Amino acid sequence: MGRERVLVAMSGGVDSSVAAALLVEQGYDVVGATMKLFCHGDDVPDRPCCSLDSVNDARRVCEQLGIPHYVLNLETKFGHDVVDNFVEEYARGRTPIPCVRCNTFTKFRDFLKKADSIDAQWIATGHYARVVDGKLRRGFDENKDQTYFLWGIDRAVLSRMILPVGTLDKAQTRARAHAMGLEVIAEKPESQEICFVPDGDYARILEQRLPADAPALSRGPIMTLSGKIVGEHNGFARYTIGQRRGVPGGFPHPMYVIGIRPHDRVVVIGTRDELLGSGVVAREVNWLAAPPSIGDRVSVRVRHRAPLAPAEIVRLDGEEIELALDEPVSAITPGQSMVLYEGDRVLGGGFIEASRGQRSSLPVLAA
Amino acid sequence: MTPAADPVYLDHAATTPVREEVFEAMKPFYGPRFGNPSSTHRWGREARAALDEARERVGRCLGARPDEICFTSGGTEGDNLAILGAWRALKAKGRTAVVTSPIEHKAILGAVHQTAREGAEERILAMTSAGVVDRQSFDELVDDAVAVCSTMWVNNEIGTIQPVPELAAKAKERGALFHTDAVQAFGKIPIDAQKQRFDFLTISGHKFGAPKGIGALFIRRGTSLEPLMHGGTQDRGRRPGTENVAAAVGLARAAELTLAECEAHCARLRKLRERLEAGILAKVPDAVVHGRGAERAPHIVNISVPGTDSESLLMALDLRGIAASGGSACQSGSISPSHVLSAIGVRPDLASAAVRMSLGSLTTDHCIDRVIEVFPALVAKARQLTAAE
Repeated sequence: MGRERVLVAMSGGVDSSVAAALLVEQGYDVVGATMKLFCHGDDVPDRPCCSLDSVNDARRVCEQLGIPHYVLNLETKFGHDVVDNFVEEYARGRTPIPCVRCNTFTKFRDFLKKADSIDAQWIATGHYARVVDGKLRRGFDENKDQTYFLWGIDRAVLSRMILPVGTLDKAQTRARAHAMGLEVIAEKPESQEICFVPDGDYARILEQRLPADAPALSRGPIMTLSGKIVGEHNGFARYTIGQRRGVPGGFPHPMYVIGIRPHDRVVVIGTRDELLGSGVVAREVNWLAAPPSIGDRVSVRVRHRAPLAPAEIVRLDGEEIELALDEPVSAITPGQSMVLYEGDRVLGGGFIEASRGQRSSLPVLAA
Repeated sequence: MTPAADPVYLDHAATTPVREEVFEAMKPFYGPRFGNPSSTHRWGREARAALDEARERVGRCLGARPDEICFTSGGTEGDNLAILGAWRALKAKGRTAVVTSPIEHKAILGAVHQTAREGAEERILAMTSAGVVDRQSFDELVDDAVAVCSTMWVNNEIGTIQPVPELAAKAKERGALFHTDAVQAFGKIPIDAQKQRFDFLTISGHKFGAPKGIGALFIRRGTSLEPLMHGGTQDRGRRPGTENVAAAVGLARAAELTLAECEAHCARLRKLRERLEAGILAKVPDAVVHGRGAERAPHIVNISVPGTDSESLLMALDLRGIAASGGSACQSGSISPSHVLSAIGVRPDLASAAVRMSLGSLTTDHCIDRVIEVFPALVAKARQLTAAE
């Protein structure tokens, strides 16, 4: 047998480029591929991800590394698994997190199949996370850690994943890019927005894909927790939990969106205290470790970059899980991820279904 | 994995290597004979002589007079110049429609869409499932409102041959101009402008051993045509810009060599292709060879295996050193299902599995042996993965 083959998902950005370069250095038989996930047409200027310029950057890096580069068209599947779901979630009054589904279905399932078809035992990406002995762990760079988006992948895939930049921080990654002569991409800006929302204006995508009279985009009342109507909104899909923009003023305290009720199109607003939750329910749970038990203590993250919160598992029910948080957490948002950690190891996660009120009022604890 | 044993190039329909004789013929024009053919001095005259001679030689290869040959940058320019040039010249005379087939190269389809933006009525011919223009549809659509009608001679994806002389004659009876994209046909099909009644015919040098960036458009004497570019008077004003003398000389040499070898070359390719198809079908009996029901040029095989996808197969083939191609590659290099296969009614799952192999000067018996060995093995593997889903 010759060298082991690895298929690297290359976005044209610095992280995946350095990932590929490090694998070449380590002696792997590296094949680069850029996933084409959507098409903006000709009229949208270049974006940091998935656009023609990004494909060109990935190709230039591969040319420089002396490895083959392919473009894989996963548009149809991505549209179905990620973009359609994104729209449906907003239509249901939730705030989706498309990167999780992209990792679960596109990068670590569909892309893995491409690896199978070229006899590549390994797949690699530029994620800031680590796989150590089949366990998914947070990247060394706590600022950049991307495990919040990776909890949904099939556990069996861990044994085939290489995440070469997970032990670096961003500055080190850029330094490696310069050191290896990858000037094309070494100082490329970070992609922060959702790749298929070219200008961050997600409502426009909804307007394009939902009927004009969709409830999510239709007017409805803004209410306080006590049920008082204090204003009107132009579609609840334009709101997310914790948001202040578009919330009426004139209150003694700053007010935030604390709930969205799609059935009667109500956006509920409240104070900072009313935004707190002491419990969280998640569904579509996936485990990257042996499933835990009721009563287990874990660290939990309910929002990207939020601090880890200590919590206890109070209910485990098939694909649903409920946690009681030691201290209340702000803006627990249906549709976002809840990720469970033990130390720096990812145990698993789920999509947030609901926030529970103050701990003392949790019925499950009262029982 | 070991590096590929012997690379196998089966993408001659995409491009071919420049022939040694062609390269040699071009060299003086990158050296001492560098003159501008429009100059009146000795250097200019030397270049002009070479250009004139190249024009005559390319003309002879097509049964055309020298003034009927317009050098272009290649297939896309030739196609655009013919369609747009003819439409723009004839719309002033009250002709309102443009006709083409749905299996044309994007250069034709794009140019026809452009005429529609300029007010033309776009008419698309129906195809038979074998991949040939439906004659009844042609009779219906090509009437006295038509400015120009374009039908490719040999399809670049599936190799099917259109009855161009017959269609050209019919179009002429109705007063329409007729263009054919003969980019894949030159050297495979007898072309003779004296006997066949097309008004325009496009060829592209790099498909038969000349370099990229040179081609020719045959323009029948007396045919109305608006130029695409404006400027100097080169090529009678049809194609202003300093001529690419070296490439024109290369085109002439390549065209002559190709025609001289045509019969033997085609017979050789036909034999190789038959063996390739038979070899694959013996191991993969449910493979579908597209366009098999029609007469095909000898150098193209387009094959779909149910339960596979072309993207993965092409990548796997390439990593084994075998170069083939899929549908039309877009600018990013990703592969979309072929408009040609859709137009002839191929099921979407089969269309997205299509692999085109095109044979040529580099193809040997050994290449065919390798493909007959590797392709079915990759197909079996791909199907295993599909079945495991």
